[in-house]
Amino acid sequence: MKNIENIHKLAEDALSSIEGIKRATAKPFLLTRIHARMNKQTESLWEKAGWFISRPAVAFAGLCLIILINAAVIVSKNSSAQTSVAEQTTQAPTDEFSYTVATIYDYDNNQP
Amino acid sequence: MNQPELIAQLQQGNEQAFTKLVDDWQDMVYNTALGIVQNEEDADDITQEVFIQAYQSISSFKGDAKISTWLYRITVSKALDHEKRKKRKKRFGFVQSLLGSGDEEHIHPVLFNHPGVELEKKEKARELFNALKRIPEKQRIAFTLHKLEGQSYQEVAEIMNTTLYAVESLIGRAKANLKKELIKYYGTLKDPK
Repeated sequence: MKNIENIHKLAEDALSSIEGIKRATAKPFLLTRIHARMNKQTESLWEKAGWFISRPAVAFAGLCLIILINAAVIVSKNSSAQTSVAEQTTQAPTDEFSYTVATIYDYDNNQP
Repeated sequence: MNQPELIAQLQQGNEQAFTKLVDDWQDMVYNTALGIVQNEEDADDITQEVFIQAYQSISSFKGDAKISTWLYRITVSKALDHEKRKKRKKRFGFVQSLLGSGDEEHIHPVLFNHPGVELEKKEKARELFNALKRIPEKQRIAFTLHKLEGQSYQEVAEIMNTTLYAVESLIGRAKANLKKELIKYYGTLKDPK
Protein backbone atom coordinates (compact mmCIF):
# COMPACT_ATOMS: atom_id res chain seq x y z
CA MET A 1 0.00 0.00 0.00
CA LYS A 2 2.79 2.31 0.97
CA ASN A 3 4.53 1.41 -2.25
CA ILE A 4 1.47 2.39 -4.35
CA GLU A 5 1.31 5.73 -2.57
CA ASN A 6 5.00 6.18 -3.19
CA ILE A 7 4.58 5.45 -6.91
CA HIS A 8 1.74 7.99 -7.18
CA LYS A 9 3.86 10.60 -5.42
CA LEU A 10 6.79 9.94 -7.76
CA ALA A 11 4.51 10.32 -10.78
CA GLU A 12 3.17 13.62 -9.41
CA ASP A 13 6.72 14.83 -8.76
CA ALA A 14 7.74 13.94 -12.29
CA LEU A 15 4.71 15.78 -13.69
CA SER A 16 5.59 18.92 -11.78
CA SER A 17 9.32 18.68 -12.57
CA ILE A 18 8.98 21.00 -15.57
CA GLU A 19 7.26 23.76 -13.62
CA GLY A 20 9.37 26.87 -14.03
CA ILE A 21 11.36 25.35 -16.90
CA LYS A 22 13.54 27.85 -18.77
CA ARG A 23 13.45 28.20 -22.53
CA ALA A 24 16.31 26.42 -24.28
CA THR A 25 18.37 28.75 -26.44
CA ALA A 26 19.32 28.12 -30.04
CA LYS A 27 22.96 27.42 -30.88
CA PRO A 28 25.03 30.48 -31.89
CA PHE A 29 25.45 31.64 -35.51
CA LEU A 30 22.06 30.29 -36.53
CA LEU A 31 21.63 32.96 -39.20
CA THR A 32 24.96 32.04 -40.82
CA ARG A 33 23.96 28.38 -40.89
CA ILE A 34 20.56 29.26 -42.39
CA HIS A 35 22.25 31.29 -45.18
CA ALA A 36 24.72 28.48 -45.85
CA ARG A 37 21.86 25.99 -46.08
CA MET A 38 19.88 28.23 -48.43
CA ASN A 39 22.91 28.60 -50.73
CA LYS A 40 23.52 24.87 -50.63
CA GLN A 41 19.90 24.22 -51.61
CA THR A 42 20.17 26.33 -54.78
CA GLU A 43 23.59 24.90 -55.69
CA SER A 44 22.47 21.36 -55.31
CA LEU A 45 19.63 21.46 -57.86
CA TRP A 46 21.86 19.75 -60.44
CA GLU A 47 23.06 17.34 -57.77
CA LYS A 48 19.43 16.52 -57.03
CA ALA A 49 18.75 15.89 -60.73
CA GLY A 50 21.79 13.62 -60.89
CA TRP A 51 20.73 11.84 -57.75
CA PHE A 52 17.21 11.37 -59.17
CA ILE A 53 18.47 9.94 -62.44
CA SER A 54 20.91 7.61 -60.71
CA ARG A 55 18.22 6.08 -58.50
CA PRO A 56 17.99 2.36 -59.37
CA ALA A 57 14.27 2.50 -60.14
CA VAL A 58 14.63 5.54 -62.41
CA ALA A 59 17.77 4.18 -64.10
CA PHE A 60 16.12 0.81 -64.69
CA ALA A 61 12.93 2.43 -66.03
CA GLY A 62 15.03 4.61 -68.34
CA LEU A 63 16.96 1.60 -69.61
CA CYS A 64 13.71 -0.30 -70.24
CA LEU A 65 12.33 2.71 -72.14
CA ILE A 66 15.44 2.89 -74.36
CA ILE A 67 15.24 -0.88 -75.08
CA LEU A 68 11.52 -0.54 -75.83
CA ILE A 69 12.08 2.35 -78.27
CA ASN A 70 14.87 0.40 -80.01
CA ALA A 71 12.67 -2.68 -80.28
CA ALA A 72 9.80 -0.60 -81.68
CA VAL A 73 12.09 0.99 -84.29
CA ILE A 74 13.51 -2.42 -85.32
CA VAL A 75 10.02 -3.96 -85.61
CA SER A 76 8.68 -1.05 -87.68
CA LYS A 77 11.76 -1.15 -89.99
CA ASN A 78 11.32 -4.90 -90.51
CA SER A 79 7.65 -4.60 -91.40
CA SER A 80 8.31 -1.78 -93.90
CA ALA A 81 11.16 -3.82 -95.46
CA GLN A 82 8.80 -6.80 -95.86
CA THR A 83 6.19 -4.60 -97.55
CA SER A 84 8.72 -3.27 -100.06
CA VAL A 85 9.95 -6.85 -100.82
CA ALA A 86 6.35 -7.91 -101.46
CA GLU A 87 5.80 -4.89 -103.72
CA GLN A 88 8.99 -5.70 -105.60
CA THR A 89 7.94 -9.35 -106.19
CA THR A 90 4.62 -8.28 -107.72
CA GLN A 91 6.20 -5.45 -109.70
CA ALA A 92 8.98 -7.60 -111.25
CA PRO A 93 6.81 -9.92 -113.47
CA THR A 94 4.71 -6.93 -114.47
CA ASP A 95 7.81 -5.19 -115.78
CA GLU A 96 9.24 -8.40 -117.27
CA PHE A 97 6.20 -9.44 -119.34
CA SER A 98 4.72 -6.01 -119.92
CA TYR A 99 1.26 -6.79 -118.57
CA THR A 100 0.12 -3.28 -119.18
CA VAL A 101 -2.62 -3.15 -121.79
CA ALA A 102 -2.30 -0.50 -124.41
CA THR A 103 -5.50 1.41 -124.64
CA ILE A 104 -7.07 2.90 -127.70
CA TYR A 105 -5.90 6.30 -126.59
CA ASP A 106 -2.29 5.24 -126.97
CA TYR A 107 -2.84 4.56 -130.72
CA ASP A 108 -5.04 7.58 -131.32
CA ASN A 109 -2.62 10.01 -129.78
CA ASN A 110 0.32 9.12 -131.98
CA GLN A 111 2.04 12.27 -133.03
CA PRO A 112 3.26 12.64 -136.58
CA MET B 1 9.52 47.85 -36.39
CA ASN B 2 5.96 46.61 -35.75
CA GLN B 3 4.54 43.40 -37.15
CA PRO B 4 2.85 44.69 -40.37
CA GLU B 5 6.02 46.66 -41.20
CA LEU B 6 8.19 43.62 -40.60
CA ILE B 7 5.93 41.47 -42.80
CA ALA B 8 5.99 44.09 -45.56
CA GLN B 9 9.80 44.29 -45.37
CA LEU B 10 10.10 40.51 -45.42
CA GLN B 11 7.83 40.30 -48.45
CA GLN B 12 10.11 42.77 -50.24
CA GLY B 13 13.03 40.45 -49.50
CA ASN B 14 14.70 42.80 -47.03
CA GLU B 15 17.73 41.05 -45.52
CA GLN B 16 17.64 43.09 -42.30
CA ALA B 17 14.02 42.13 -41.70
CA PHE B 18 14.93 38.45 -42.07
CA THR B 19 17.80 38.90 -39.59
CA LYS B 20 15.34 40.46 -37.14
CA LEU B 21 12.89 37.61 -37.65
CA VAL B 22 15.59 35.05 -36.84
CA ASP B 23 16.98 37.04 -33.89
CA ASP B 24 13.58 37.58 -32.30
CA TRP B 25 12.13 34.11 -32.69
CA GLN B 26 15.02 31.64 -32.88
CA ASP B 27 14.81 30.53 -29.23
CA MET B 28 11.04 30.11 -29.41
CA VAL B 29 11.32 27.94 -32.53
CA TYR B 30 14.27 25.96 -31.17
CA ASN B 31 12.66 25.31 -27.76
CA THR B 32 9.39 24.14 -29.35
CA ALA B 33 11.21 21.83 -31.75
CA LEU B 34 13.38 20.53 -28.90
CA GLY B 35 10.31 19.76 -26.79
CA ILE B 36 8.80 17.72 -29.61
CA VAL B 37 11.81 15.86 -31.05
CA GLN B 38 13.83 15.69 -27.80
CA ASN B 39 17.17 15.89 -29.55
CA GLU B 40 19.34 19.03 -29.72
CA GLU B 41 20.86 18.41 -33.15
CA ASP B 42 17.50 17.57 -34.69
CA ALA B 43 15.95 20.65 -33.08
CA ASP B 44 18.74 22.79 -34.55
CA ASP B 45 18.10 21.29 -37.99
CA ILE B 46 14.37 21.92 -37.68
CA THR B 47 14.97 25.53 -36.56
CA GLN B 48 16.96 26.16 -39.74
CA GLU B 49 14.27 24.51 -41.86
CA VAL B 50 11.54 26.61 -40.20
CA PHE B 51 13.25 29.91 -41.03
CA ILE B 52 14.03 28.82 -44.59
CA GLN B 53 10.37 27.86 -45.04
CA ALA B 54 9.30 31.18 -43.48
CA TYR B 55 11.59 33.07 -45.90
CA GLN B 56 10.26 31.15 -48.90
CA SER B 57 6.58 31.38 -48.01
CA ILE B 58 6.37 34.90 -46.53
CA SER B 59 4.68 36.10 -49.73
CA SER B 60 1.68 33.89 -48.94
CA PHE B 61 1.45 35.13 -45.33
CA LYS B 62 -1.56 37.43 -45.17
CA GLY B 63 -0.96 38.73 -41.67
CA ASP B 64 -4.24 37.36 -40.30
CA ALA B 65 -2.32 35.61 -37.48
CA LYS B 66 0.60 36.77 -35.35
CA ILE B 67 4.07 36.01 -36.73
CA SER B 68 4.74 33.91 -33.63
CA THR B 69 1.58 31.82 -34.25
CA TRP B 70 2.60 31.33 -37.88
CA LEU B 71 6.13 30.28 -36.85
CA TYR B 72 4.78 27.93 -34.17
CA ARG B 73 2.61 26.24 -36.81
CA ILE B 74 5.56 25.77 -39.18
CA THR B 75 7.71 24.47 -36.30
CA VAL B 76 5.13 21.92 -35.14
CA SER B 77 4.56 20.70 -38.67
CA LYS B 78 8.31 20.41 -39.41
CA ALA B 79 8.99 18.67 -36.09
CA LEU B 80 6.24 16.12 -36.69
CA ASP B 81 7.50 15.48 -40.24
CA HIS B 82 10.98 15.00 -38.84
CA GLU B 83 9.69 12.52 -36.27
CA LYS B 84 7.89 10.52 -38.95
CA ARG B 85 11.07 10.36 -41.05
CA LYS B 86 13.02 9.26 -37.99
CA LYS B 87 10.49 6.55 -37.16
CA ARG B 88 10.78 5.19 -40.69
CA LYS B 89 14.57 5.12 -40.31
CA LYS B 90 14.20 3.43 -36.93
CA ARG B 91 12.06 0.70 -38.45
CA PHE B 92 14.70 0.20 -41.12
CA GLY B 93 17.37 0.15 -38.36
CA PHE B 94 15.41 -2.53 -36.55
CA VAL B 95 15.34 -4.68 -39.69
CA GLN B 96 19.08 -4.05 -40.07
CA SER B 97 19.66 -5.12 -36.46
CA LEU B 98 17.83 -8.36 -37.17
CA LEU B 99 20.26 -8.87 -40.02
CA GLY B 100 23.12 -8.04 -37.66
CA SER B 101 24.15 -4.64 -39.05
CA GLY B 102 21.96 -2.26 -37.03
CA ASP B 103 22.96 0.79 -35.03
CA GLU B 104 22.14 0.22 -31.34
CA GLU B 105 21.45 3.92 -30.67
CA HIS B 106 18.64 3.95 -33.23
CA ILE B 107 16.82 1.14 -31.47
CA HIS B 108 17.40 2.21 -27.86
CA PRO B 109 17.61 6.02 -27.94
CA VAL B 110 19.23 7.80 -25.00
CA LEU B 111 16.98 9.64 -22.51
CA PHE B 112 16.58 13.34 -23.12
CA ASN B 113 17.75 16.09 -20.76
CA HIS B 114 16.11 19.46 -21.37
CA PRO B 115 18.71 22.20 -20.71
CA GLY B 116 16.15 24.49 -19.08
CA VAL B 117 15.19 22.13 -16.24
CA GLU B 118 16.51 22.87 -12.75
CA LEU B 119 19.37 20.60 -11.72
CA GLU B 120 17.58 18.83 -8.85
CA LYS B 121 14.59 18.05 -11.08
CA LYS B 122 16.61 16.71 -14.03
CA GLU B 123 16.03 13.02 -13.32
CA LYS B 124 12.27 13.37 -12.86
CA ALA B 125 12.01 15.58 -15.95
CA ARG B 126 13.89 12.96 -17.95
CA GLU B 127 11.28 10.38 -17.02
CA LEU B 128 8.49 12.83 -17.86
CA PHE B 129 9.96 13.52 -21.30
CA ASN B 130 10.26 9.81 -21.88
CA ALA B 131 6.58 9.34 -20.99
CA LEU B 132 5.69 12.28 -23.25
CA LYS B 133 6.86 10.24 -26.25
CA ARG B 134 4.20 7.64 -25.54
CA ILE B 135 1.07 9.82 -25.50
CA PRO B 136 -1.01 10.76 -28.59
CA GLU B 137 0.46 13.40 -30.91
CA LYS B 138 -2.12 16.17 -30.40
CA GLN B 139 -2.02 15.83 -26.63
CA ARG B 140 1.77 15.99 -26.74
CA ILE B 141 1.78 19.14 -28.90
CA ALA B 142 -0.78 20.91 -26.71
CA PHE B 143 1.10 19.94 -23.53
CA THR B 144 4.47 21.01 -24.99
CA LEU B 145 3.19 24.40 -26.15
CA HIS B 146 1.48 25.07 -22.83
CA LYS B 147 4.10 23.74 -20.41
CA LEU B 148 7.39 24.26 -22.23
CA GLU B 149 6.57 27.43 -24.12
CA GLY B 150 4.22 28.88 -21.52
CA GLN B 151 1.48 29.55 -24.07
CA SER B 152 -2.03 30.14 -22.74
CA TYR B 153 -4.85 27.76 -23.71
CA GLN B 154 -6.19 30.43 -26.08
CA GLU B 155 -2.80 30.78 -27.83
CA VAL B 156 -2.43 27.00 -28.06
CA ALA B 157 -5.90 26.87 -29.63
CA GLU B 158 -4.84 29.46 -32.25
CA ILE B 159 -1.61 27.62 -33.04
CA MET B 160 -3.35 24.26 -33.32
CA ASN B 161 -6.27 25.80 -35.19
CA THR B 162 -8.82 24.42 -32.78
CA THR B 163 -11.18 25.55 -30.03
CA LEU B 164 -10.35 26.55 -26.48
CA TYR B 165 -12.50 23.70 -25.20
CA ALA B 166 -10.58 21.18 -27.34
CA VAL B 167 -7.26 22.43 -25.95
CA GLU B 168 -8.52 22.17 -22.34
CA SER B 169 -9.57 18.63 -23.07
CA LEU B 170 -6.29 17.76 -24.84
CA ILE B 171 -4.14 19.05 -21.98
CA GLY B 172 -6.34 17.36 -19.36
CA ARG B 173 -6.05 14.03 -21.19
CA ALA B 174 -2.31 14.57 -21.72
CA LYS B 175 -1.79 14.97 -17.97
CA ALA B 176 -3.89 11.89 -17.19
CA ASN B 177 -2.04 9.79 -19.79
CA LEU B 178 1.33 11.02 -18.62
CA LYS B 179 0.48 10.12 -15.04
CA LYS B 180 -0.63 6.66 -16.17
CA GLU B 181 2.62 6.15 -18.10
CA LEU B 182 4.72 7.36 -15.17
CA ILE B 183 2.88 5.08 -12.71
CA LYS B 184 3.47 2.19 -15.09
CA TYR B 185 7.16 3.10 -15.30
CA TYR B 186 7.68 3.50 -11.52
CA GLY B 187 5.68 0.32 -10.95
CA THR B 188 8.22 -1.67 -12.95
CA LEU B 189 11.14 -0.39 -10.87
CA LYS B 190 12.19 -2.65 -8.00
CA ASP B 191 13.02 0.20 -5.65
CA PRO B 192 11.41 3.42 -6.90
CA LYS B 193 12.97 6.52 -5.32
